[in-house]
Amino acid sequence: MIQKQDILRRGPWTWEIPASHRSDMRVPVRLFADERLLEDALGDASLEQAVNASTLPGLVSHVTVMPDVHQGYGFPIGGVAATLLPDGIISPGAIGYDINCGVRLLASRVPIAKAQPHLRTLASALYANCPSGVGVKGSVPLTTKELDRVCREGARWAKRSGYAQEGDLEATEEDGAIDGADPESVSARAKERGRPQLGTLGAGNHFIEVDVVDQIFHKDAARAMGLEEGCLVIQIHCGSRGFGHQVCSDYVHDFHGAAARYGIRLPDRELVCAPLSSPEGGRYQAAMGSAANYAFANRQILAHHVRRSFEQALGGKGSDTGLHQVYDIAHNMGKVEVHQVDGRPTRVCVHRKGATRAFGPGFEGLPPRYRPLGQPVLVPGSMGTASWVLLGTAGSMELSFGSTCHGAGRRMSRHQAKRTVRGDRLRQQLEEAGIIVIAGSLPGLAEEAPKAYKDVDAVVEVVSQVGIAAKVARLRPVAVIKG
Amino acid sequence: MPGGGFEEIEHTADWALRVHGTDLADLCRQAATGMLQLAGAEPADGPTRVESLVFTEADAEGVLVRWLEEVLYGLEVRRVVPVAMRLRSHGEVRLEGDMTLAPLARLEKAIKAVTFHALKVTPTKNGCEATIVFDV
Repeated sequence: MIQKQDILRRGPWTWEIPASHRSDMRVPVRLFADERLLEDALGDASLEQAVNASTLPGLVSHVTVMPDVHQGYGFPIGGVAATLLPDGIISPGAIGYDINCGVRLLASRVPIAKAQPHLRTLASALYANCPSGVGVKGSVPLTTKELDRVCREGARWAKRSGYAQEGDLEATEEDGAIDGADPESVSARAKERGRPQLGTLGAGNHFIEVDVVDQIFHKDAARAMGLEEGCLVIQIHCGSRGFGHQVCSDYVHDFHGAAARYGIRLPDRELVCAPLSSPEGGRYQAAMGSAANYAFANRQILAHHVRRSFEQALGGKGSDTGLHQVYDIAHNMGKVEVHQVDGRPTRVCVHRKGATRAFGPGFEGLPPRYRPLGQPVLVPGSMGTASWVLLGTAGSMELSFGSTCHGAGRRMSRHQAKRTVRGDRLRQQLEEAGIIVIAGSLPGLAEEAPKAYKDVDAVVEVVSQVGIAAKVARLRPVAVIKG
Repeated sequence: MPGGGFEEIEHTADWALRVHGTDLADLCRQAATGMLQLAGAEPADGPTRVESLVFTEADAEGVLVRWLEEVLYGLEVRRVVPVAMRLRSHGEVRLEGDMTLAPLARLEKAIKAVTFHALKVTPTKNGCEATIVFDV
């Protein structure tokens, strides 16, 4: 385990494990945290995993660790690593099984005061219309050929099929479709798992949440995003379902052979990888792109069902119930981007696992209304606590390969949460606090208890102070739907 | 767990099981039993069927992961749960045998994947052991 004495303080919120800490490290590990969050990170294997990640071939600069970091498998959740093209590696385990797990935010002009009497109806409509839970099937019948189109076109496929509104795609990372996706690189088994699940939320930590804009910190950005204090917004958090899980599993197996062929030695088998320029690396990128596009389409279909639910519950009640998309962003992804390395623009593959892209002002890929401000960043908190809307900054481009935090980050194991929290009691406590909860599984609810997570406000304070994101708005939950 | 068995151990985000077996085949059987318990998988009344299996992988860890993935696939896609497992291992690279599969009545938790994270099948005086982390 990494000890506090192994870590150097580089600034008020910046800590570093130098590359000299272990002989196989290629770059240092840099952590952004306050004292409390640092203690949390030291409390599990997060930093050991970050040190393991720092041994991957082709890394540049440093491995970044976000304040919401927690132990994962192989690569820590809340980790960012950039590898040089063409000879650096790509690692499926450093992206995660839930490829393009991400968050979408829809905003309304419905004031909470007007919506309050109808919130339970809204929550019930969301639960009824958005398929959720373990083993649930979606309502989108797909042939294998049609699934291949989803893989290539992502949210564009969803728009063509009537699930998107004008403006949705441009308010989605990569306009909702990753270039280079190729379903030929995806196994039959992944397609079999993914075909019935399109348009489903799933279970675990995935959710749909109705929030109120509680406080605005950046008026211009909030205006550009259509966020109004006291009005309802809705978050959708999910990913590529069994399709992405199988793609990752398949390539973790395949890459064991590849790592041996390319003479890559690893401290943890879950970090298996292949050179970006190799045939194996190319196939994984094409498959990962397919899973990412599946996830974009999945969240787009769920957004359609959210809009239907909103209209069913609040339509004709005297408010404009139109929901516009603020943004949709991935937090498990590997992407080829250009960043400054040693003062030169350099093409790198940025692995973000439990970390959000946070590009600063001027990024061409943003809709015109966001371009002067920076990219919207969506940071869901734990169930029952605040969530945040942030902006990417010039600082994130300098310090963290255009990345920032992705959530609150767990501090308690699921096992411990189940031992100390009862799902029915938790639901009652949340209801007493004014938060409606509809959940398919009470033990599952207990595992996601707020006390199992870090303080999201503290996490956001760190990224704000470090300068890798800027605060726009704080959201307060009023209804949560979980599988 | 003098011979075989499993116990859940702490992991911040995911699930982890420490599993003991008298040999690799028993380890695989115990691991599947533990995974099914974690997932809350319950068989339904109804006709069962027996299916045979053979896996050859590069090493014991590969065999263990591949076997558990096969059980997961049965739960998620085929909606079947093994109610009996008769497995034999040949060295560290081959697993064969058969499973009696029942229709799945209930699945409480979703497991996304079986990982290789820090996975090592190590010999013990009673057989072997491994710690498996599941992504959930």
